Amino acid sequence: MRNHILFSVLVVVIAGQASTATAHAIAGNRFFPTTLAIDDPGVADELSFPTVSSFKTGDSPGARQLDVSGEYSKRLTDKLGVSVGETWTRIKTPGADTVRGFQNVETTLKYQFHTSAEHESIMATALSVEWSGTGADQIGAEHHSTISPSFFFGKGAGDLPDAYAWARPFAVTGQVSYAIPSRSHDGPDANSQALSYGLALQYSIPYLQAHVKDYGLPEFVGRLTPVIEAAFETPTTYIRGAKTTGTINPGLIWSGRHFQVAAEAVLPINRDSGHGTGFVMQVHFFLDDLFPTSIGKPIW
Amino acid sequence: MRKTGSALAIALGLAFAGQAQAHAQLEHAFPRVGAVISASPREVRLWFSEIVEPMFCSIMLEDATGRMVPTGHLFVDTKDKRQIAVPLSAALKPGAYRVRWHVVSVDTHRREGDFVFVIKP
Repeated sequence: MRNHILFSVLVVVIAGQASTATAHAIAGNRFFPTTLAIDDPGVADELSFPTVSSFKTGDSPGARQLDVSGEYSKRLTDKLGVSVGETWTRIKTPGADTVRGFQNVETTLKYQFHTSAEHESIMATALSVEWSGTGADQIGAEHHSTISPSFFFGKGAGDLPDAYAWARPFAVTGQVSYAIPSRSHDGPDANSQALSYGLALQYSIPYLQAHVKDYGLPEFVGRLTPVIEAAFETPTTYIRGAKTTGTINPGLIWSGRHFQVAAEAVLPINRDSGHGTGFVMQVHFFLDDLFPTSIGKPIW
Repeated sequence: MRKTGSALAIALGLAFAGQAQAHAQLEHAFPRVGAVISASPREVRLWFSEIVEPMFCSIMLEDATGRMVPTGHLFVDTKDKRQIAVPLSAALKPGAYRVRWHVVSVDTHRREGDFVFVIKP
């Protein structure tokens, strides 16, 4: 009798947890991997560390900038999460001293307000703050805070008709943000508001194998997602010489059980965006899978 | 340098943390996803990346019109608890069939999915 009661309690507990334990950016058949140029649309317990990028800035002469960053994201509830990110930067300018230091700390509150399993769609909204005074002057950390409301979406093509089944592994994610500086000027320098926007088009081979057609691909290949990202920023207050900047990033994401590894080339769209081809790489841990009963689950 | 070493140790610790479970991913299936086969299978069997909890799992079969096809009770493979299957009560007629699955891994993460296979006339 006692065992029977214990078993019943266990069933109720597991059933209750099972109704909420999803995490990642998952909608029905679709898993949206974390992308590098724009954020994915989901709320999850995750750690991106390290993210390493190297590129030549749009300055003249172009300086070589190396960024090493990390971001920790934590779910407060199943749909609401916070994250904190920090970046260490080194800038090598020809004919000048190399400078290094930390950028301003950035925090984000994100709410995933829509998830449709049937249509493989996710939408989220967020408010990010880059905190002034937390970064180093020598690498150009801003002296003002910046508040950025954002909108995110993700849509998989799994609901295409059977005639287009080959295209079902495609998915697109996107982000639109509006950056509002806390001050219009820092001394003589004007601070522009700016619109940031980007898209990531991805073709999920795991989706192809598990939901469309199993081609018996090797396990490594079967976990790859080719992706091309485009991210842009357009100043919306007039500052002389300020133009739209952005990059196009083709790359690959390998998704394992507990972490993913991604690498992308960084191609500037114009001279103001940079010189030559850069790169960005990231290791990203799924904390909800690694620690499902402790730090990997929502607080409430 | 010590900071780099510590960071690497944390990263490796996370990557290889013991006893960690993950979202169950469908690794392969019989009949295979998208397969065209010449005879009715006797069961539908799914292989997942994680051990699943059979009490909270389901495998349902629909014919081309969306009508449910009767199956036997779902069972977990006694030698490999990442495998679940349902026996088919009767031989399937030629046509397209959709397998809809829903699983909960032992750490309570849930996943769902579906795929089609076809039996040739």
